[in-house]
Amino acid sequence: MREEIRNIQELLRRQTYITDAAVATSLYLAMALGKPLLVEGPAGVGKTEVAKSLADALDTKLVRLQCYEGLDAAAALYEWNYSKQLLHIKLQEATAASAAEKEAAIFSESFLLKRPLLEAITHQTRSPVLLIDEVDRSDEEFEAFLLEVLSEFQVTIPEIGPIKATHRPYVVLTSNRSRDLSDALRRRCLYLWIDYPSFDKELEIVRAKIPAISEALSADLTRVIQAVRKLNMVKVPGVAETLDWAAALLALNTQQLDPEVIAETAGCFLKDEADLRKFETELGDGRLKEMLSPVS
Amino acid sequence: MTGSETQPGLLTDTVLFCRALREHGLVVTPAEAITAVATLNLIDLDDRQETFLSLRSALTSRVEDFPVFEELFEDFWSRLKPKFGKTVERDALSAGARQVRLSSQGHRPKGLAFFLEHWGCDRPGDKEPIKAPGASSAENAAEKDFSLFGADELEEVARLARRIAKRLARNPSRRWKPVARGPRIDLRRSLRKSLKTGGEIIALSFRQRKQKKTRLVVICDVSGSMDLYSRLLLQFVYGLQNSFARVETFVFSTSLERITAHLKDRSYEQALERLSTNIQQPGWPGCGWSGGTLIGPSIAAFNSGWPGLVNQRTIVIILSDGWDTGEPEELAASLADLKRRAGKLIWLNPLLGGPAYQPLVRGMQAALPHIDVFAPLNNLASLRRLERHLIL
Repeated sequence: MREEIRNIQELLRRQTYITDAAVATSLYLAMALGKPLLVEGPAGVGKTEVAKSLADALDTKLVRLQCYEGLDAAAALYEWNYSKQLLHIKLQEATAASAAEKEAAIFSESFLLKRPLLEAITHQTRSPVLLIDEVDRSDEEFEAFLLEVLSEFQVTIPEIGPIKATHRPYVVLTSNRSRDLSDALRRRCLYLWIDYPSFDKELEIVRAKIPAISEALSADLTRVIQAVRKLNMVKVPGVAETLDWAAALLALNTQQLDPEVIAETAGCFLKDEADLRKFETELGDGRLKEMLSPVS
Repeated sequence: MTGSETQPGLLTDTVLFCRALREHGLVVTPAEAITAVATLNLIDLDDRQETFLSLRSALTSRVEDFPVFEELFEDFWSRLKPKFGKTVERDALSAGARQVRLSSQGHRPKGLAFFLEHWGCDRPGDKEPIKAPGASSAENAAEKDFSLFGADELEEVARLARRIAKRLARNPSRRWKPVARGPRIDLRRSLRKSLKTGGEIIALSFRQRKQKKTRLVVICDVSGSMDLYSRLLLQFVYGLQNSFARVETFVFSTSLERITAHLKDRSYEQALERLSTNIQQPGWPGCGWSGGTLIGPSIAAFNSGWPGLVNQRTIVIILSDGWDTGEPEELAASLADLKRRAGKLIWLNPLLGGPAYQPLVRGMQAALPHIDVFAPLNNLASLRRLERHLIL
């Protein structure tokens, strides 16, 4: 394995982001090739966390663009600060400046409200990490617009002219696959799929994030979560849920898992009523022992 | 670094590898090939896992590509490193990749085919799920009955669903609403607000078109008599729900089940796999089909169980052939109740497509007075016509 990849893995680990070779390799390539990284996977496996930890590891700024239905270029790129412009016009009324001068003044950069995309490409000192979160929630038109920005890292504002990135941001896109992204966008990106973690990896994550929890308990609770993921639930618990549950058990000062404690706290990792019912019947059937027995 | 100059042999191998991937349906254009070569210059080529992960990152674009990639990578690697030959062991990571292999050896765009193969395949009396017809000419494809559809044509259904969904989602109302930031300046409100500041406009007000919040409720008959159609129509609904948030989906035969959550937020295959495993479990409507169809009670159950789902902004679509073993009066009463609250009630009947069909079934007769739109849904043409009914 290359030194650089090992370094990335080590740096992320220091941010308590436990990762595997696939994540580290993809991040290394994305940085080395200057390509955006598209991260997909089920909800709650730490897709967003990849970008956050990367920014922390590189000690650079994280610029986050949260996508939603109806997100448009104005909210993502830039807007003019109308009220400031109006005030400025008012103040300028008494001066002898010509109309052209006044116009030039109000369409200068100080009247520009930078939104995430513009902010990411105008960073002066070093490359920030640009996180485009849940890109599948945005509309297809926005996707096309995004493609344009991501291929050139240049934005043209009619009144000012083109603005080109001085430091190209590292771009991470995440998607929950609620909608299929276009092939064009997929092709522009390197691809990374993050699945639910294996038992060992998840245990390591719990240990890293919640160090106060006892070793035996963390192993047990991880086993239960791993078993729950196999139960064909409507809402499969992610790593975030595992951590919530671990924190809850710690707060309750639980020493050992038993059916009562699990039933009381199951709401931490099961967020659907039908799932809860299903899980309770499983618990009632005495499946807990089976879940807790260390399987290979 | 293994060398900034790519060796000619490596270059040829990589290009061949890319071509093989393309032939297996992956989106690998010359641009990806260039990325792949650039990637190989950046990594340690003696490390199999690293090469595998890097190329996978560069050359695949969805998780469904992974199994194909993994298989073809074996060839590529054995050509690249003949000394290891075929005895090279699959590492832990490629085993992980195998886990996400999504059933059926078939690869990408086969969602529908997969669905048809696996849907309720363990049901008794299900001899041949669907006969895939031979070659079909493009002209008559639109007129062909769904029950004769082959896997390829089913993709068209999904495409149509997405188009209809898009139309539903982008349905601006004539009314405006004030917004904090929007595409248009609201002059009236801006001037009104300026009075506070002595007639000086300081802050602008904006407005934008309201969105029509049309909701779609689909109640789909999955009883035995609808077998061939319901698979396909649920597929259609999946396509809708995938690209349009406000869709609620129910299935019924003798009882009613809400399956919205089962179709949501998942990849095509995952959702279908989940549905088809669930539908074989006892207690699911799909299993109760031998007992006949109870349309009336199912609709009544919907009315009482989910009253909040239906209002004047809701289009309710019932997909059924009207073969009801219950009482027609009960069906009429429940439909009347539903009609009173819904914006539009559409009944889609696959049998209506047949030229000789008359809605003489007792259930259908009872239902007709309460339905806004009674339309066939047996081929692509009828699916296209559905588009114009989906407007409130």
